[in-house]
Amino acid sequence: MIRFDNVSKRYPNGYQALHGINLHIRQGEMVFVTGHSGAGKSTLLRLIPLLERPSNGQILVSGVNLSRLGRRSIPQLRRRVGMIFQDYRLLHDRSVYDNVALPLVIGGVPHVEIGRRVRAALDKVGLLDKESAYPITLSGGEQQRVGIARAVVSRPPILVADEPTGNLDPALSWEIMQLFRDFQQVGVTVVIASHDLDLVGRMGQRVVTLTRGRLLGEEVA
Amino acid sequence: MAEQPSVRRSQGRLRQILNAFASSHGRALFGALGRLYRTPLATLMTAAVLGIALALPTGFLLLLSNLQGATVGWNADARLSAFLRTDVGSERYRALAAALEQDPQVAATTLITPEQALEEFRAASGMEDALALLDSNPLPAVVLVWPATGLAPDAAAALAERVRRLPEVELVQLDHAWIQRLAIMVDLARRATLVIAAMLGIAVILVIGNTIRLAIENRRDELVIIKLLGATDAFIRRPFLYEGFWYGAAGGSLALLLIESALLLLRGPAVALTASYGSPLLIHGLGWSGVGLLLGSSTLLGLTGSWLAVGRHLRALEPR
Repeated sequence: MIRFDNVSKRYPNGYQALHGINLHIRQGEMVFVTGHSGAGKSTLLRLIPLLERPSNGQILVSGVNLSRLGRRSIPQLRRRVGMIFQDYRLLHDRSVYDNVALPLVIGGVPHVEIGRRVRAALDKVGLLDKESAYPITLSGGEQQRVGIARAVVSRPPILVADEPTGNLDPALSWEIMQLFRDFQQVGVTVVIASHDLDLVGRMGQRVVTLTRGRLLGEEVA
Repeated sequence: MAEQPSVRRSQGRLRQILNAFASSHGRALFGALGRLYRTPLATLMTAAVLGIALALPTGFLLLLSNLQGATVGWNADARLSAFLRTDVGSERYRALAAALEQDPQVAATTLITPEQALEEFRAASGMEDALALLDSNPLPAVVLVWPATGLAPDAAAALAERVRRLPEVELVQLDHAWIQRLAIMVDLARRATLVIAAMLGIAVILVIGNTIRLAIENRRDELVIIKLLGATDAFIRRPFLYEGFWYGAAGGSLALLLIESALLLLRGPAVALTASYGSPLLIHGLGWSGVGLLLGSSTLLGLTGSWLAVGRHLRALEPR
């Protein structure tokens, strides 16, 4: 599903974020990427929806070679990769419903179907009663669930989450992780960056560890 | 037979694409209008700047077109004054006036005999005593020649030249020389106005471009997120293009309002003024084609301005 072949990333300021990464993530797999701050976790994740382009090497997503993907095709790639952020990245001047509907509006989904799918996504994350609320009135855990509903509403085959529980307490973090596991169990490929080793360990999934931009090793916790 | 379902499916697919297209454009069109409506004062001020910038050249062009219409009317009134030599006898000048009247380019002639001229001069100048001292009448006979109506200025000039060549004629005054000069001045003013219109058009593009640039800056975070979620450049560009469209349309409508109210204020005095010259003329407005041209070009300027601004700033929105 996602394959990294000898991928390196050097930023324009000369900082080498990733060195020769080789990684294969199969369809329906749930993979945790761990490591200290600055180890390159975020950079690795940002390469998948082409928020960054690699300096060297090849990345294949669903069989598509990203280095051959032109600027105009990037939107199609991003619609197939649901993204979740540590800071949620919600639009604060729009209701929960409008936030979740955004990917469908962008994708040109018919109006009647939008309502159905937004409610299904909100139901899945347990926020059906908050659809007309504004994000600022919600707790951190609820805001992240809105972020997850937005990421899954267009039913992408891949979910990429960068420190999704970084701002949440352990109990809420655990709930969020259960949500990700639910999506994985229906066949979604899930890649999560986290430095919370205790939480990652309890999930019992594949773990890859980055140290200063290099892939150290793999383990199944 | 086997093809029918796929044909039906492709028709359904086409309808779905058309629906998506119409709904996304409708959303952008009215979304942009809604955003302008939510900041009424800022929108009104921008529209006022555009309205004034558009009303100035349009108003000038309208004024010039009215002036030209008036001079066309005056051209028909232009006449030649042929001053005859003083040694031409009274039978001769009567025959000349009658002969000129037969010319197809001449509508009518009026003869002013030296005696009539002296009488008129005496009545008008009030110099009776001085005139009484003269032992003979120094004034020549004059034939006033009215060119046929609708005679072009060039043909009128040729007619004047023809009359000047007649042996009895001492001097011809073509009374419409100043009208020709006026026509040249009007033409000059029209060209100057077009230059000013071009400059103000560029100003309109820049004002709208700058307004759209600020709108993009204000929504930068939102646009970055939308781009993260897979929005195409066209999707991001669309609401701003429609915003420029609305600004242009609002500026054009305001310009129309300004011009029509100015006409309303000026029409009365203008008619009174021209009536005092004996030929009251109707001041004409923009007319349907003028209104269409004004609104069409203003919305086009709006679209151009926003297109330039969006094109320049879109690339800077790549997600961080």
